[in-house]
Amino acid sequence: MSAIHLTVNGQPREVDVDEDTPLLWILRDSLGMTGTKFGCGVGVCGSCTVLENGQALRSCQLPAKEAVDRSFTTIEGLSPDASHPCQRAWLEEDVAQCGFCQPGMIMNACALLREHPDPSDEMIDAIMSDAVCRCGTYPRMRKAIHRAAAIMRQHAG
Amino acid sequence: MKTTRRTFLKTAALGGTALVIGFDGRRLCAAGEASAARFQPNGWIRIDAQGGVTLTLGKSEMGQGVRTALPMILADELGADWLRVTVVQAMPGPDFKRLGTGGSGSVQGSWKPLREAGAAAREMLIRAAASRWQVDPSSCSAETGAVHHADSGRSLTFGDLVEEAAKLPIPSAPSLKEAKDFHLVGKRTSRIDGRDQVSGATKFGIDTRVPGMLYASIERPPVFGAKAKGWNEKAARRVRGVRTVVSVTSGVAVVGESTWSALKGRAALAVDWDETKAIRFDSDQHREKLETASRQRGIVLRSEKPASPTEAPARTLDATYFYPFYAHAPLETMNCTAAVQPNECELWAPTQDPNDLQRDAARLLGLALDKVKVHVTTIGGGFGRRLANDYAFEAIEVSRAVKAPVQVLWTRPDDTRHGHFQAASVHRLTGGLGADGKLVRWRHTKAGSLHNLGGVEKPPTPNDAPFYQGYAWGVYDLPYTVVDLEMAYVPVELPVPHGPWRAVFAPGSVFARESFIDELAHARSADPLAFRLDHLQDDAPFQAGDLTIDPRRLRRVLELVRDKSGWDWKQKLAPGNGRGVACNIYDAQTHIAYVVDVAVKDGDVQVKRVVAAVDCGLVINPVGVEQQIEGGVLWGLSSVLKGEITFRNGAAQQQNYGDFEVARMRDAPVIETHIVSSDAGRPFGLGEPPVPPIAPAIVNAIFAATGKRFRKLPIRPADFEA
Repeated sequence: MSAIHLTVNGQPREVDVDEDTPLLWILRDSLGMTGTKFGCGVGVCGSCTVLENGQALRSCQLPAKEAVDRSFTTIEGLSPDASHPCQRAWLEEDVAQCGFCQPGMIMNACALLREHPDPSDEMIDAIMSDAVCRCGTYPRMRKAIHRAAAIMRQHAG
Repeated sequence: MKTTRRTFLKTAALGGTALVIGFDGRRLCAAGEASAARFQPNGWIRIDAQGGVTLTLGKSEMGQGVRTALPMILADELGADWLRVTVVQAMPGPDFKRLGTGGSGSVQGSWKPLREAGAAAREMLIRAAASRWQVDPSSCSAETGAVHHADSGRSLTFGDLVEEAAKLPIPSAPSLKEAKDFHLVGKRTSRIDGRDQVSGATKFGIDTRVPGMLYASIERPPVFGAKAKGWNEKAARRVRGVRTVVSVTSGVAVVGESTWSALKGRAALAVDWDETKAIRFDSDQHREKLETASRQRGIVLRSEKPASPTEAPARTLDATYFYPFYAHAPLETMNCTAAVQPNECELWAPTQDPNDLQRDAARLLGLALDKVKVHVTTIGGGFGRRLANDYAFEAIEVSRAVKAPVQVLWTRPDDTRHGHFQAASVHRLTGGLGADGKLVRWRHTKAGSLHNLGGVEKPPTPNDAPFYQGYAWGVYDLPYTVVDLEMAYVPVELPVPHGPWRAVFAPGSVFARESFIDELAHARSADPLAFRLDHLQDDAPFQAGDLTIDPRRLRRVLELVRDKSGWDWKQKLAPGNGRGVACNIYDAQTHIAYVVDVAVKDGDVQVKRVVAAVDCGLVINPVGVEQQIEGGVLWGLSSVLKGEITFRNGAAQQQNYGDFEVARMRDAPVIETHIVSSDAGRPFGLGEPPVPPIAPAIVNAIFAATGKRFRKLPIRPADFEA
């Protein structure tokens, strides 16, 4: 155990935790950033997804000792005003019901769109099926991902 | 929950100049007529001097959209500016005595009181403006947060008028808008808290953070009925951050400075369990018990015989269906944060039942009711699980012991194995077809279990039909016309915790009923959709127990789903593809029919498309209707094709989403929702009704695709080989 340095949403942070503490609990308990959710604890539901260099990462599976000196983006860091293309698309398609899984879903979608700027339904299904929503928002999420891709293309153009 | 149709209104000035009206769905009363002590409203509206409208709401938001639909009703009637409406969560207390959320009752129960309160406030604001302008109130109107006088073109905002309006008497019978004048009700409306939802800002129970709080995780019995007799407290305390270990009713709690320390400490406990009183429940044995029971005559729920004897059916079919155990598996696991002090207690609970929590917590702690504060948080999925408050009492026990605020958080295996389960049931059906192919005889016996949360309810008299009807939704309320019918119930004891799950008693019964109707149609090579319509020919509503069944409404949704889906029974589909239909009336109110397209390949079932037709009465928010249909479809799809809970030797065998699977993105069909324009004049519920008919529609489509009839859920790829 020792002080651990990491960067969250561009801010350098120092936390004093056991080296096996998952990043999820560093975010939620040490840093008070509760947008990243606990759902399963074993990396099968996707609720705890954060980004590192644009890639999706299950924060419940990353121990503190491996998080040292790395930089992560959480849902709180995606945009200051819900203006990220994924957030906008999520709102325009009225995706969320209870909303609990949605921060993780949005982070997964961000990573998907970085790799595949114009994903097919099959590609969306393949990648997003690593995450669980119990309210049944999948059909709207699929539409929202296409819409977010379109917004991103507009911006790029 | 029953709501009588009177409204109780009162003005009061709370926190500065404001127009405040309370309502509880019971009495209509002018200001000053009722003493404050007797006034116990179920909701408040408050219009402040800046023109902001606040609705303090006693319903829990768990994804069903009440925080959007209910203020829409109010804002429409009031003529408020939707963008100036905010919602505050009510706390149980003298003002809020009936806050429970369940039974798909929020919108239908709040519709009238919210409108009456909105109309009363609107009339008061209009009278205040008319008096200032010295004009006839009937020449004024309220719209987007202001009162307008069309003749003179003058306007005053609500904020300008509240001080004068608040001094006026409350109209005893405010006149409600006509449906043609609704400007929000019926319009597609996005969630009021959508931005918070996509920004991670929504605070669920699990997100409660209180100064000085500790975190607890509870090691629970490995089998039902086991008791902890010893544990390695030293090992747990050696974990960094662990403060203490507390024995609680449900197990052994490890309390730490972080969730992780509590989890690690718990893993080190090595509890020694006394299993002498263990309940060695086995779900396979239970299924045999249910099957045996289903062959008994049972308690008759409804029986109708033809006036004169008719000839025996030309053909008789028998089938037995099994509906298994399921967990709720909401994404947010059970949790509660409690701060117990010697003379008071504060709780942050994602609960569907805050009043009972307040009452039971007060009783447990020996406190007066008003010394227990319950904050109802946003809920990450309820589905009936959070009508129980077991997780909250754990937090109370631990907080009392450690004298600090404590959050108890369940792990996913805790949540999967220690919930109250959807109880398995077996349905035995017999159907007789006449020489003309008409259904002339119907027998349906359900063998199931009465809920056992807080004890099993006792019937007022043995074989009390109305009592057992309450456990047999979808059995006794058969919507089809059959001259000779009898439905019965056989209660079977079930020792593991079981209770309400989305749509409660209906899904198993409707799975059996709508599958069997399909079997009967196929037995005479009839179009299963037309066969249903043929047996919904009664033009008058009829009585089934205390329900009034209107077959015409069901016929209408079936016809709509037929037309919208392009249903054509004679059409040849590609090999492995099939189409199925099913329908249901939920609680005699909400009518839904589905047509489902599936493709089956090597035992892998893909639900491709679901077309839904729904009559849920007057629609408040079409977006909400679509979301509930989509949610119900995915919920039911999981029940057919994904996980079940099985028990061996007194323990649930599943732990997590890996072995209790639920539908994922790749499983999601295209879903089209078509709303029947209803003449009901009021809204009905939609949280539960989409669930029951989807499972049989899928199963019927699989039959059409493969010729395999599945009478037991869930369906596994290997089942296709049998």
